[in-house]
Amino acid sequence: MDIFTLAIWVGTLVFLGVSFAKDKVKTKQALKMAFGMGKGMLASILSIIFAIGLILTILPPAEIAAFVSNQSVLLATVVAALFGTITLVPAFIAFPLVGTLVGAGVSVVPAVAFLTTLTMVGVVTFPLEKKEFGVKFTAVRNSLSFLFAIVIALVMGVII
Amino acid sequence: MTILKKVKENLFLAIVTLAYIIMFIANPAMGIESVKNSGYYIKEMLMIMPVIFVLTALLDMWVPKEKIMRYLGKDAGAKGIFLSFVVGSISAGPIYAAFPMCVMLHKKGASIRNIVIILSSWAVIKVPMLLNEAKFLGPKFMAIRWVLTVLAIIIFSWISAKIIKDEDLPGEVMVKPGLHINRNACMGCTLCAKNYPVLFEMKGKKAAVKEYNKELLDFENLQSAIRACPLHAIEYSEE
Repeated sequence: MDIFTLAIWVGTLVFLGVSFAKDKVKTKQALKMAFGMGKGMLASILSIIFAIGLILTILPPAEIAAFVSNQSVLLATVVAALFGTITLVPAFIAFPLVGTLVGAGVSVVPAVAFLTTLTMVGVVTFPLEKKEFGVKFTAVRNSLSFLFAIVIALVMGVII
Repeated sequence: MTILKKVKENLFLAIVTLAYIIMFIANPAMGIESVKNSGYYIKEMLMIMPVIFVLTALLDMWVPKEKIMRYLGKDAGAKGIFLSFVVGSISAGPIYAAFPMCVMLHKKGASIRNIVIILSSWAVIKVPMLLNEAKFLGPKFMAIRWVLTVLAIIIFSWISAKIIKDEDLPGEVMVKPGLHINRNACMGCTLCAKNYPVLFEMKGKKAAVKEYNKELLDFENLQSAIRACPLHAIEYSEE
């Protein structure tokens, strides 16, 4: 186990211990909540993982990297951002996936754009958001998020 | 439940299964390779997922959100911005779980800018996720992306507030009296059905309110079920 996973485990276990000492009922509730959230998402997470496994076999990361590096950075970034907008991948699968792709040589700029739009902009959640906040709010928030996802990605490309 | 309905509910799973069957018939070697590739992600997921869910639930439970939410109005200034980031970063659930809560906050006087901040930070800068990001992409990558994202959110929330007026949000929706579950927010954690089985049940993958007798409502129990819901999807109002 690497240092980060270890750190999360140790930190959470300490937190859990303190929480348990302070309030047993609340802690049990939190654990039930965590278990429930995990169970509710497990089926969709597993199907996403198996889909990723399949896609990476047909399109190996090295080939994706080669393909992306042949495009202009801006185009690759916009496409990656669009891809993040239409897909619904939980973040904790997205990180190892993007880690694999960057490790295989995909530039970080499109990778960052994908990560940001993945969670912040949603075509799938658009109708829900529109219902609660109205068209104007939803359109403005999503398009600004999309725009800034690309800006963040480009700036990161300069810094890293 | 008919088989057809089950397939429809798990459409994505069905497609993936079908793709694997075709793959194994057409090219068994590639099929095995796909399973191996998936295995890596499953291993990574099992190592991190339980602890992320527990950490998220603990944060959600212990940070006094109700207190924080009182300071999100238009005059809150920098303090309101900071607290909005805190609310978004420690909350549990996907972004659509934040929608009903933010609408409620807006009705209670939270500014448009702070709502945009909560939604955006809810989406991208969750504390447990940052640790996960550092693990796979390195602490430097995570830190830079975090700083840039926070800056970007500060800027575009300000722009949003210039464009969107309070009146642009749908007006006061008539609150239906009685007990309701926002089924859009529910993600089927079954906590309510477990805590108060007389009143809640699972229908399909989501919670639903059973027929109930108003006279017999146990308010203490009901309040605890409302508080326990990780997505704040249970609403109750007097008739």
